[in-house]
Amino acid sequence: MATTALARPQAVSLGRTAVELIPGLLLLAAVGYAGKFIEQSIATYTKAHHTTFPNIEYVLWAIVIGLVIANTTGVPRIFAAGIATYEFWLKAGIVLLGSRFLLGDILHLGGISLLLVALALSLSLTFMHPLGRAFSLKPKLTSLLAVGSSICGVSAIIAAKPSIDADDEDASYAIAAILALGAISLFTFPLIGHTLHLSDKAYGLWAGLAVDNTAEATAAGALYSDAAGKVAVLAKTTRNALIGFIVLGYALYWSSQGQAQTVSNKAAFLWKKFPKFVLGFLLISLLATLGFFTKPQLTSLANLSRWAFLLTFAGVGLRTSLRDLGKQGWKPFAVGAIGEVFIALVTLGLVYTADLYLHL
Amino acid sequence: MMTEVKKKVPGIGLSLDIYAVALALLLALLVRFNLIPAVKW
Repeated sequence: MATTALARPQAVSLGRTAVELIPGLLLLAAVGYAGKFIEQSIATYTKAHHTTFPNIEYVLWAIVIGLVIANTTGVPRIFAAGIATYEFWLKAGIVLLGSRFLLGDILHLGGISLLLVALALSLSLTFMHPLGRAFSLKPKLTSLLAVGSSICGVSAIIAAKPSIDADDEDASYAIAAILALGAISLFTFPLIGHTLHLSDKAYGLWAGLAVDNTAEATAAGALYSDAAGKVAVLAKTTRNALIGFIVLGYALYWSSQGQAQTVSNKAAFLWKKFPKFVLGFLLISLLATLGFFTKPQLTSLANLSRWAFLLTFAGVGLRTSLRDLGKQGWKPFAVGAIGEVFIALVTLGLVYTADLYLHL
Repeated sequence: MMTEVKKKVPGIGLSLDIYAVALALLLALLVRFNLIPAVKW
C-alpha cells in the first residue's frame, strides 16, 4: 500500500502551483468549517429549545465528515495536493499555539513530559522487540513500529526508514498500523478520560504521550477540552523533539549489525532529524513571555492556531481510508495494537503518579 | 480512490517545518503590528 509516508521526506515544492493546491485547500476549509457550523448550530438549537444534547466538538465533526467523504464517494485526485497540506497547517498551528504558553509553563510541563517520555520510551522499546519476535515480525519492521508507537508516529517512521535501510513494505505496514491505531485512539481516549474523570492537564499529558501521530494527538486532546488540547500539543511536541535521538540510536544499532549505513557526523544527523517547528513554537512562546504581544493580539494568535487546526482535522478524516487500513497484514497491526495498549496503560500510570507527586 | 490520493501526496517531511514556522512567524508579526484585523473564532 502506498501512503503519504513513502514519499520522500522533503518539503512540498514551493514551485507547486497554487492552482494545484486550491481545490484541496477549499475542500479542507469546507469540511472543517462544516464541522464548526454543525457544532455551533447544535449549540444554538439546544439553547433555544432548552434541550440537552452532548456537546460534540467541531474536531470530531470535521474528522467524521472527512472520513465519510473519503470512504464513500472517495476523494478525486484533483484534491490530493491541497489535502496533503494538512500537516503543514498542523505545524503552523502548533507554532502559533506557542503564544499561549509562558516559557516557564513549557519548562515545567515540558520537563515533566520529557521525564515521562523517557520512562515510557525505555519501557515501550524493551516491550516492543520481544513482542515483534513473538509474532515473527521482521526485526526492522519491529524497529519501525517501536519508533512509531513510542515517539512520533508517521514522522518518526519516515525519519527512521532511510536511516536503518528498512524496506518500503515494512514502512508501509508500520505506517498503516500507526494510522489505524491513531484513528481508534481518537474515539477511545476521550471516552476513557471522561470515565476516569481525568483533569484537563492529566488527560492532555496522557494524550500527548500516548497517541502517536501529532495530528491525532492534537485532535484527541482538543476533543476533551481546549485546555487539554493545549497540554496535549505541548507533550507531543516534547516527544517530537526526541525523534533524532531515537532514530540515531536505531541507525547506530543497525549499522553495527552491518545492515545500515554508518553515521559519520552524529551532530549533523541529529539536526537533520530534529523537527524544526519545535524551535518556532519555543520562539513564539518566548516572545509571548517577554510581553511582545498584547492580550487581544494573543487571542488573535490563538484563534489563528485554531483555524490552522481546523484544516488539519479535516485532513485527518480525508486522508484515512478504512479499506486500506483493513488491507494490511494482521500481524503488524496486532503488534502495534498490543504495543499501543501497553504504552497507553504505562503512560496513564505515569501521568497519575506525576499528578500526585509533581503537581501538574 | 483514497489510495490514489495517498500516492499523489507530496512528500511532507522535516524541511516542511521551515515553511510552517515562517508562515506562523509572519502571521505573528502581522498581528503584532496590527497589519491584519483581529482574528475571530
